Amino acid sequence: MIVVPESIREAIVADAREGTPREICGVLGGAFGEQRSRVDSRYPATNAAETPRTRYLIDPEEQLEIFERLEDRGEEIVGFYHSHPNGPAGPSATDAEAAAWPDRSYLIVSLVPTLEVGSWRWRGDGAFDRERVTYR
Amino acid sequence: MRVTVDVKGEGTHEVDLEAPTYADLLAEVELSPHEVSVLVDGRPVPEDQPVETDHVTVLRLIKGG
Repeated sequence: MIVVPESIREAIVADAREGTPREICGVLGGAFGEQRSRVDSRYPATNAAETPRTRYLIDPEEQLEIFERLEDRGEEIVGFYHSHPNGPAGPSATDAEAAAWPDRSYLIVSLVPTLEVGSWRWRGDGAFDRERVTYR
Repeated sequence: MRVTVDVKGEGTHEVDLEAPTYADLLAEVELSPHEVSVLVDGRPVPEDQPVETDHVTVLRLIKGG
């Protein structure tokens, strides 16, 4: 399960809509647990992928800067978020192939056919487990 | 040489190897160059280069589609 402030959900959805047709992405900071995490902050990042309409990538230098800010605030790396401007609602084959953070949450905002916000934990070997998202 | 490998989000490892490359360091901590980036002083370094520092940062990549 992942607990997300309603304000952060709204901000990510707004970014996803504004960023269309490109995918948007960022990092989620807070309290990490293998079964239950709590999001306290989000850190928007530039999508550095060569084809940002269908891929996302956070540049390692920006990623390190974000992690340092996050750690300075006493937070842990809870997970990451990105958008699917044209679906699907869940992790794509590319997401499964590229995932590299065991047990962290991958929150995905899908805008079509309807708005859907879901979160999945990557358990390794290309396997994503859907988790419950609770808003506070 | 002794090198501190800081794998962000996981912890640090002390690695002792003779004339390692960055790829050798990754092998020691059981990570693949395909899933991470290695940084020295905040800048990415090529994995096939010899290590010339006593502290490196390893970042698992954040990417997908």
